[in-house]
Amino acid sequence: MVKTLAPCLVAVALGSLGSVANAQDNHLTVYTYDAFAADWGPGPALKAGFEARCDCTIDFVAADSSIGALRRAQLEGEDTEADIILGLDTATMGEGIESGLFVEHGLDYPELDLPMDWADPVFAPVDYGYFAFVYDTEALDTPPASFQDLVALPEDFRIVIQDPRASTPGLGLVLWIKAVYGEEAAAYWEELAPYILTVTGGWSESYDLFLAGEADMVLSYTTSPAYHVIAEDETRYQAARFEEGHYTQIEVAGILGSSPDIDLARAFLDYLMTPEAQATLPETNWMYPIVEPEGGLNPGFDAMIDPDPALLLDADTVAANTRAWIDEAFAALR
Amino acid sequence: MRRLSGYTIAGLVAALIAALLAALWVAGQSFATRSGAGPDIAHLLRMSSAQAGLSTILSLLTGFILAWSLDRLRFPGRALVVGMLSSALVLPSLVVVAGLIAVWGRAGWINALLDHLGTSIGSSVFGLEGIVLAHVILNGAFAARIMLDRLEAIPPEKLRLGRALGLGPVRRLAILDLPALASTIPGVGATIFLLCFTSFAIVLVLGGGPGNQTLEVAIYEAVRLDFDLGAAVRLSLVQLVVCALIIVPATTLAPAATLFGRRTLLHWPESRPVARLQLVLLVVLLAGFLAPLLAVLVRGLDNAILDLWDLPGFWRAGATSLWVGIASAALCLALAIGLGMARALVSRTRPAHLALGIPVFTYLAVPAVVLSLGFFLLARQTGLSTGAAAPVVLVIANALLSLPFAFATLAPALEAITSRHGRLIRALGLSGPSQWRMLEWPLLARPMGYAAALAFVFSLGDLGVISLFGTESFSTLPWLMFRALGAYRTNDAEAIAALLLILSVTAFLVIPRLFERLAHVRD
Repeated sequence: MVKTLAPCLVAVALGSLGSVANAQDNHLTVYTYDAFAADWGPGPALKAGFEARCDCTIDFVAADSSIGALRRAQLEGEDTEADIILGLDTATMGEGIESGLFVEHGLDYPELDLPMDWADPVFAPVDYGYFAFVYDTEALDTPPASFQDLVALPEDFRIVIQDPRASTPGLGLVLWIKAVYGEEAAAYWEELAPYILTVTGGWSESYDLFLAGEADMVLSYTTSPAYHVIAEDETRYQAARFEEGHYTQIEVAGILGSSPDIDLARAFLDYLMTPEAQATLPETNWMYPIVEPEGGLNPGFDAMIDPDPALLLDADTVAANTRAWIDEAFAALR
Repeated sequence: MRRLSGYTIAGLVAALIAALLAALWVAGQSFATRSGAGPDIAHLLRMSSAQAGLSTILSLLTGFILAWSLDRLRFPGRALVVGMLSSALVLPSLVVVAGLIAVWGRAGWINALLDHLGTSIGSSVFGLEGIVLAHVILNGAFAARIMLDRLEAIPPEKLRLGRALGLGPVRRLAILDLPALASTIPGVGATIFLLCFTSFAIVLVLGGGPGNQTLEVAIYEAVRLDFDLGAAVRLSLVQLVVCALIIVPATTLAPAATLFGRRTLLHWPESRPVARLQLVLLVVLLAGFLAPLLAVLVRGLDNAILDLWDLPGFWRAGATSLWVGIASAALCLALAIGLGMARALVSRTRPAHLALGIPVFTYLAVPAVVLSLGFFLLARQTGLSTGAAAPVVLVIANALLSLPFAFATLAPALEAITSRHGRLIRALGLSGPSQWRMLEWPLLARPMGYAAALAFVFSLGDLGVISLFGTESFSTLPWLMFRALGAYRTNDAEAIAALLLILSVTAFLVIPRLFERLAHVRD
């Protein structure tokens, strides 16, 4: 408590010195994707929690996607209202760095509960999950257990995926297949193409198609079934465990260099990594917490598949090759 | 005076579009682009044109058959059917796509029926077939509604004469119906072609993948995914040029509308065998049109629409939707009438006639993502916060969006009034306001009511403009629906979709009556 309060007090002091003209200081604006800021998302609880411990106000501004939030800040340039962009992930961090908008946060990380070491100086983790194909146990007895199984299924088996340029799970699949198949990825996409019903712009359209019974499996998260179990008491939806492993997505937040109150922004990122803040994330954002949350993780998550081995490609390699890998996948789909 | 206001509106719309594109172009200069190969424009044009051409022809054809049958047949619930016809066009495409999939999809009604016969159409709704089917459902209904309006406007004396002469179904069609329809076909056809050519959400969801694309989708990708604003402006200009190639001939070649009047109460049905044929055609087509909408209703009501009452933000979003809808309907009517009046006064051969018709379509030709981004940049450059600009932008954008439809409804009517009553107006020396009060308003009330309903519902269903300006505090019903869909809340989304459909149909039933009633009071 003392540890997180101190930067707040410093921020208050610096803020009052830094800008006399702006009486409305001690205010943070966080650009994020819509589901995060929504009334039913983590936004409201995090706002209440953070405002209770700092003498400040914080507002979440929703863009249609995390990339949309980044684009908006890019367009606004130096005079953007945003202090923090939250929601970029391990695959799009490179885009963020390339924009030149972010500064190093200077945080000391607590003991993190992530499948890999995390030491990024610019982006702090918020929560994480693994990509997986979700299926309906009432419609499918034996789900595929590997990428090889998937392309050996009957011809009328249909999966629905998302556009890698518009949606983070869509990009996740491109990276997942790359991590598993490497040089053979293009050949695998050729084999996969006939099974793809459609490529939607966003995750929601594809998940809706799946729930409506139009597709046998949808590209989503290993934790998607937790939503159905906890919020709907429905156990029919499960994630298919692939023996090659599951690709990891870590959602991150970063501070913009243009922020007038970088210390307050840092305090918020620090708050996000507290057990209190982490306790709101699993059941509002349906992702895993990065530290043991207050009150533990809802047992509804216990039944989630073990993603081992958790896959993650090196961030620099991803940033340098994303476009080529997307083109490679699309060549097979055209 | 009337001419001046028309030219002012046309000039303002053109200036606005130019400013939006310029804002985007300027912003594009300040960002490094790292675009890949870029889209194959020739390929995109070929694909889009073929798809849009096919969709347009089929839409006009089904629209004609529907209108022809509905004009001759009387049955209980006919008004409701006519009301529902117009709603498909203006619903958020996502809703229509969902309804379409619920009927034609792998787990849909058709396959459930076919299953009993031991066969299946599988997932054939995805791909080009699905895109065209969706477009025909949306636009065929619109064409039917406009054509039905024209057929019902045939003066009763003509019908009486035709009946006395004993015209058969074919000659009646050729002598009475086709001339009445001719003035609408170029405008309606061009509008439908542009809608399909620039189709977005339908192509994204039903297209099946990167194989099926339109320029509009490519522009969206350039902006949102590659952040190549320069490329977006270049692609937009290509799209503008192609659309101009459609619009210019359509506006110049359209024959002048001559027939106009209040709804004919005279009912002249066809002979029994023809009426039977019409009934069969009507039932089959209506089943095709209405089944997806019914599916939306069934899915939404199934999931307890009452739960919405407690959904956070529902009431606020509903109120925003309503006032934005009313404001943009009013603005749209004013623009359409202003342009239409000025154009009715200009000889059809003069370039000014074309100049007054083109601004109507620009909004169809300019990609939504470019427009919303342009508005966003303009708002910033003029120092407005995006929060303050959002409602204004939403109203203007939605009014412009429905302008082509309102114009297609009102312009032929205004032209017909001027050509039929011009001499009378001059002889009586009527002033502008009294000309409006005594002549135009009573005659126009019905199409105005329809145009108002169209504009209102268009705005009610908008998901394109709001997606860049919507936030958790500024939300409309479709935006709330889209957000619910993104948070596993499919039930809420389906309930909102059903509610939107109910509101749309109600608007189409109530608003035209309201206008007619208002005009009637003055008689």
